[in-house]
Amino acid sequence: MRMVILGTLALALASAFLLYAINYDTRLLEDRVQAQERAIEEARRDIAVLKAERAHLGRPDRIEPIARAQGLRPASEQQLVANPEEALARALAAMGEPAASVEKGN
Amino acid sequence: MRATATRPQTRPPLPRRPSANGPLRTLIAMILMALAFVAVAGQLVRLALPSEPDITSSLSEVVDGSYARPDIVDRNGRLLATDVEAYSLFADPAYVLDRDEVVEKLSVVFPDLDQEGLRKDLANRTRRFVWIRRGLSPKTAQAIHDLGLPGLDFRRELRRAYPGGTLAGHVLGYVNIDNKGMAGIERYVDEVVGVEAVQGATLTERAPVRLSLDIGVQHAVEAELASAMRRYKAQGAAGLVLDVATGEILASASFPQVDPARPAMSLEKARIDKIASSTFELGSVFKTVTVAMALDAKLATLGTIVDVRKPLAAGPYTIRDLHPLGRPLSVAEIFIHSSNVGAAMLALQAGPERMQAFLQQLLLLDSIKTETGPVAAPQLPEQWHEIEAMTIAYGHGLAVAPLQFAAAASALVNGGNRVLPTFIKRRADAGQAKVPLVQSETSARLRELMRRNVIDPAGTGKRASVAGYAVGGKTGTAEIPGPGGYRKQAVISSFLAAFPMDRPKYLVFTLLFEPKPTDAAGGEVLAALNAAPTTGRIIARIGPLLGMLPATAVAAPAGMTFDAASPAKYEAR
Repeated sequence: MRMVILGTLALALASAFLLYAINYDTRLLEDRVQAQERAIEEARRDIAVLKAERAHLGRPDRIEPIARAQGLRPASEQQLVANPEEALARALAAMGEPAASVEKGN
Repeated sequence: MRATATRPQTRPPLPRRPSANGPLRTLIAMILMALAFVAVAGQLVRLALPSEPDITSSLSEVVDGSYARPDIVDRNGRLLATDVEAYSLFADPAYVLDRDEVVEKLSVVFPDLDQEGLRKDLANRTRRFVWIRRGLSPKTAQAIHDLGLPGLDFRRELRRAYPGGTLAGHVLGYVNIDNKGMAGIERYVDEVVGVEAVQGATLTERAPVRLSLDIGVQHAVEAELASAMRRYKAQGAAGLVLDVATGEILASASFPQVDPARPAMSLEKARIDKIASSTFELGSVFKTVTVAMALDAKLATLGTIVDVRKPLAAGPYTIRDLHPLGRPLSVAEIFIHSSNVGAAMLALQAGPERMQAFLQQLLLLDSIKTETGPVAAPQLPEQWHEIEAMTIAYGHGLAVAPLQFAAAASALVNGGNRVLPTFIKRRADAGQAKVPLVQSETSARLRELMRRNVIDPAGTGKRASVAGYAVGGKTGTAEIPGPGGYRKQAVISSFLAAFPMDRPKYLVFTLLFEPKPTDAAGGEVLAALNAAPTTGRIIARIGPLLGMLPATAVAAPAGMTFDAASPAKYEAR
């Protein structure tokens, strides 16, 4: 009988320690989860701001003057072709002309 | 011993005293032990169950939550509106030590601060919550934080940001201080898409609202209109690009512009949206409708000759042509030379009833709606007599919103099917029910006429021509009604165009308000000299953006356009 009582007492003590340890771990994990969630929230807010900033920097009325300063112009319908072969032919023709004129010069 | 042994048998037995060592003691110990185990088990269960969350937020005064809104993106996923976190400054009067110091120091940061009002608010110590300024940038918030004033604190809130600035400002609308949509697409977002009421700054996870607008096209239209306003010294301008098959609006611009971040701007009368929220007598562009009516009712063909030599008496007015040719004109010539008399005679031939029925059929007399709210209702004549039919024939006496007219005109060029304008991108698989409004034959003839008006050397639309895009269109120069009649030299000049004319895909409608007879317009205020070239520039610029191959090139294989095939091109998420 005494053995049973001692055994159960030991069991009770052991489970109490175990419980405490688990509880402590849980709180630790919960803290980490909360920290992660806060980090996610913060990251999402940062993403929102960065997205807005990128869109603001990429707004057409800012890009247009910059592009024009680089010597670019709005796309022209003359720059569009239906297939790569035609584009190649057109590019070759554009390259060929000055070459031909050089030959003529000689 | 023996005597004692027998005594119990002779004497009544004594009540047995509870023994300190018997089985009872064991029993008590066991019960206590069992109770202890039950307690341990109970505690185990209690801890294992999820505990209630700690309540940490508490406010003495109820504060309305704000709203978390989904992003608004254009048809290619480029961002037009989004929520960002901002700081809002409030005061707790109970903790404010020195009111005057607070007011004085804050007015350095906010020069436009209502000092008296704030002083009064802070004097009321029973209040625990007074908004001072909302939606501050992190920099301003830091500046106030550095003042180190007790009783002031910040709340983090969501604030709407419009990274494009004034781009598509009229379409987007605006939100109030609580981030609730009040006008335009923002209101549609509240009413249809849904927003989330939140405390603090919680971003929504809803999918973005995808508009039919294309930022590139929108900007091209805005930029060309702005330069046209400078070139022709116009008071205002408006432009619209519409997909004639689906009714999707690719661009809708109105000058002077509004900034969605400054709602007060949208309430100024001069800045009302000229595309959807105002109605105008549009002038000669309306002859497109008149000629369509005559053709659709088989009252005339393009070759039918009409005698337009004499000015036409219409009640107190006389309808005359600006540049009479002094000979009878065919219906095609009436359109190309924009003859008022000719258009009025076509209307007279059809009669007011038929005219009214035809306008009704084109949905020009109903109130229509888009996602940005109801389009300004057309202003109808009080009665439908011959005079009204004749004036409406060349675009006076009936005022409609340009958007509504553009939708009707789209039906006239797209083969005769109804077009319902929308600001929301239609899904590629969402098949549009084809509702024929006019015969496809009528539409084909009109396309031919509009194209001839641009290629004909005498056509009023020749300055809208763009190499390779087969533009077709009709000019309109409408005098603006003022007090006591029409104002001289104050006109709305407009150009209605579609391209490519053999199979129109897009309709472009450009309006210039009160352009001056500048040198660039040849000293005239005619649409042929200002609105038509502006439309030509717009088409030359948006055609490549929309992936339209010029007619000289071979037709593009399906899916080669910039749109839809590569949705991730500018994707914000």
